[in-house]
Amino acid sequence: MKTGIKIALSVAMLASLSFGGEQFAMSDADRAMYAEMSENNPADIMVADGEELLGYMGGDEGLAKYLGVSEDDLPTYIAGFPRYIKKFDMVVGIDQMIQAMMADGGHKPLKLKSGNMFSLLAYVKSIANGEKINIDVNANPQMKEAYALGEKTFMTKRGGRGLSCNSCHSPDVVGRVLRTQPLPDLGANGAKAAATWPAYRMTKSSLRTMQRRFQGCMKNALLKVIPIGSKEMVALEVYLTDKAKGSEISIPGLKR
Amino acid sequence: MKKTVMISLLVGASLFATDYSKVITHPDASKMIEKDLLAPPKVYTMPSGCITNDPDAIARGEYIFHNLNGKKAKKNPPKGLSRRQMKPGVTYLPGQKIPFKQYGNCVACHNIENAKGAGNIGPDLTNYKENFVDSGARTHAFVYQKIADARIDNPDTHMTINLTTKLFTPREICDITSYIVSPK
Ligand code: HEC
Ligand code: HEC
Repeated sequence: MKTGIKIALSVAMLASLSFGGEQFAMSDADRAMYAEMSENNPADIMVADGEELLGYMGGDEGLAKYLGVSEDDLPTYIAGFPRYIKKFDMVVGIDQMIQAMMADGGHKPLKLKSGNMFSLLAYVKSIANGEKINIDVNANPQMKEAYALGEKTFMTKRGGRGLSCNSCHSPDVVGRVLRTQPLPDLGANGAKAAATWPAYRMTKSSLRTMQRRFQGCMKNALLKVIPIGSKEMVALEVYLTDKAKGSEISIPGLKR
Repeated sequence: MKKTVMISLLVGASLFATDYSKVITHPDASKMIEKDLLAPPKVYTMPSGCITNDPDAIARGEYIFHNLNGKKAKKNPPKGLSRRQMKPGVTYLPGQKIPFKQYGNCVACHNIENAKGAGNIGPDLTNYKENFVDSGARTHAFVYQKIADARIDNPDTHMTINLTTKLFTPREICDITSYIVSPK
């Protein structure tokens, strides 16, 4: 693992930190706790767990071999996920790639939503810490298709209140306040949400992945929660990862 | 961590070609999304007697405006409104939990009199009667339609859709409208 895991501040978090008062969701006590945690991210332990788990499958070396890249090229390769892998004939996230690797190694694949899988995913992505996101959504027809599906899923209004992801995350509402929570920028220049997940969520006291975060937004906004690993979820991740292209990966993030 | 399980399962590379579509979890979500889609924009006629000075109706509208759902609401709902609501077409047997009712949570996006932690995604609705209705800028019917289905006024709206989604009944939309246009 690269030394010195950097702490990732989300745009929302910075906004919460810089404003006081009761309009915002973070109290002074929250802010103090946040300052403390940015020195010492509680999710470092989970990332270390993930490293240990990968150890049973040959560690970084085994992973590089499985992916058919040199250990030197591994960080850059990891920074390009989700990607189309011919052998699987699917666009997969890091977690799904780990499932295939486990199966090929004779292990029973972990469930995508298990805590151990979240740790593994966080560790494997942290191998790319310091790398810039280099996803290529034009690499092949499968990636093009995933990007288009991701965009469509992001824009689709549905659920009990007729909202889409775009209702709250389109550039014209970014930075505005939704009941005490500044709306984070997932896209425009230099935004790096996708570079900071998996992250420790203070309000959930646990390590969460990006797809798990999508589920949180769906639940809160009354959109039917779709399962992690579904084509649409991976596509959403492709779409938002492309928006963060060029941002430096910094895992684990730290979020409200 | 389940180290022991991991180790015991380590039996070396499989001899058989793997069917990755069985190994990799990739459930189908397209049908879930399809069933969840928002219906096309719809024009509504405001029912007669919709806007009222009845304090109970206004209290219900206010409550719906300021609260997210029956679980989160601190104060008890006013007369004529409950914390839980049966889903249409479902039979509830004794002991079965009736789901919490969803309210408007309008304050998430709009400021208004006595709002706590209001958002600013939508316009400030403070002094609405004076600023928007008495000034002639808005009619009651406009407000009713806006809350029922905001897409008629603005096809690209970020606002929630409240009647076309069947989140509320026409009566409830009237209660909310009555609250917004009432003198405060
Ligand atoms: C009703 C408003 C709303 C909707 C709809 C919504 N979100 Fe969010 N989202 C938020 C808010 C508010 C936050 C920040 C919450 C906080 O402060 O913790 C957020 C945070 C996020 C983040 C984390 C950003 C970061 O800081 O790294 C992601 C990713 C995200 N949303 C994706 C989505 C996706 C994908 C959808 C659609 C499936 C969606 N959201 C729908 C309001 C919404
Ligand atoms: C997710 C954000 C959001 C939520 C939640 C929301 N609104 Fe809005 N509302 C808006 C926006 C944005 C507008 C501006 C017009 C537009 O884009 O449709 C608006 C406009 C309005 C207007 C028109 C004001 C005028 O005269 O121009 C009214 C009235 C209104 N909203 C009432 C409500 C009520 C009542 C609720 C709850 C049932 C609600 N809103 C929930 C975002 C929201």
